[in-house]
Amino acid sequence: MAADGHGHSPIEQFEIKELLPIDIFGIDASLTNSGAYMLVALGLIFGFLYFSTGGRSLVPTRLQSISELIYEFVANTVRENVGSQGMRFFPLVFSLFIFVLVLNLLGMIPIPGVTFTVTSHIAITASLALMVISIVVFYGLYKHGLGFFKIFVPSGVPLALYPLLIPIEIISFISRPISLSVRLFANMLAGHIALKIFAGFIGVLLGAGVWAVLAPLPLALTVALTALEVLVAVLQAYVFAVLTCIYLSDAVHGSH
Amino acid sequence: MSPADEGSDRNEGQISPEERAEFKRRSAEIGRRLDAARPESGKSKSAKGSQGKASNELLGRALRLSTELIGGIVVGAGIGWWLDTYLMPTVFGVKTWPLMFIVFFLLGSAAGMLTVVRSGMKMKTGPSDPTKGKPVPDDEDGVI
Repeated sequence: MAADGHGHSPIEQFEIKELLPIDIFGIDASLTNSGAYMLVALGLIFGFLYFSTGGRSLVPTRLQSISELIYEFVANTVRENVGSQGMRFFPLVFSLFIFVLVLNLLGMIPIPGVTFTVTSHIAITASLALMVISIVVFYGLYKHGLGFFKIFVPSGVPLALYPLLIPIEIISFISRPISLSVRLFANMLAGHIALKIFAGFIGVLLGAGVWAVLAPLPLALTVALTALEVLVAVLQAYVFAVLTCIYLSDAVHGSH
Repeated sequence: MSPADEGSDRNEGQISPEERAEFKRRSAEIGRRLDAARPESGKSKSAKGSQGKASNELLGRALRLSTELIGGIVVGAGIGWWLDTYLMPTVFGVKTWPLMFIVFFLLGSAAGMLTVVRSGMKMKTGPSDPTKGKPVPDDEDGVI
């Protein structure tokens, strides 16, 4: 946390910086700090899973039991929310969960001038949410045909209420990818801004003469907020995975 | 359980019958206490739904509910605004400005509440419980 109180804006940390300009036929595909963080996350995930599952011993080593725990955790989440037919989506949910989790946690590691939280950009979270909802729609249409649209028709309601309830159901469906992406993005954004502001108070108070005695207060708060943010980082990855499962269950089971 | 066959020449063979009875009584006592404790935890688990394990999950659910209401309202208002400012005037040539916005804002609010109520009910009764799902329509009638 490089907030030493002079001119650092709390939202500076979200700035996208171009690291390596790449231009593919007029399309700006430059490597940015966001892309670099994603590549680092992918490398970490791949390396960790590769090395931790390399041994495949019957009595797992510590690393192996970590990846087995993550596997079991995601597998149980999928089974509970979608059922065993949903296990075909396990790779998707696992990838989403671990990708979001690692990106959230990487954003919590303070490296002055470098730290960047990829999931604090709605472009990323909205792409993930749109991917999820497109899979739900396309798989639902593939599996149930036009019967998939029955999820918009509430059951056990008098016919006269249909013109009112069907638009409500449709709006509720459309709001899913929005709440899915906004939730993750807003939590990460707000958390990191709060962290930066309270960390900035420390520097400001230290430079304010007698008031420096109060500086430990925002320091303590920053420590507490950091712990909270780590919790939020894990929770949001979990919530993202659970909601993906809940939406997929609509596609797998159709209306109920 | 009792290694009587090979322990004849060792110390455990010389455990007095009272001691053995005491041991059996204690293990039975532990078993009884375990049995008493187990259905309780099982009951509380099934009452909260099969996912109700840790407080972390509860916090996750609370975080989930907060954005669902807002999502519904934003989407509803957005659709109404788009209908008013783009679709109705340019495609159908009708001026409907505040009407669609208001109608869809209300529909969106209803959709947001419906989502919240639904995920709330799901949290209370567990993922799929057809018997406990019955009171839902009454509640919803009350809300709407």
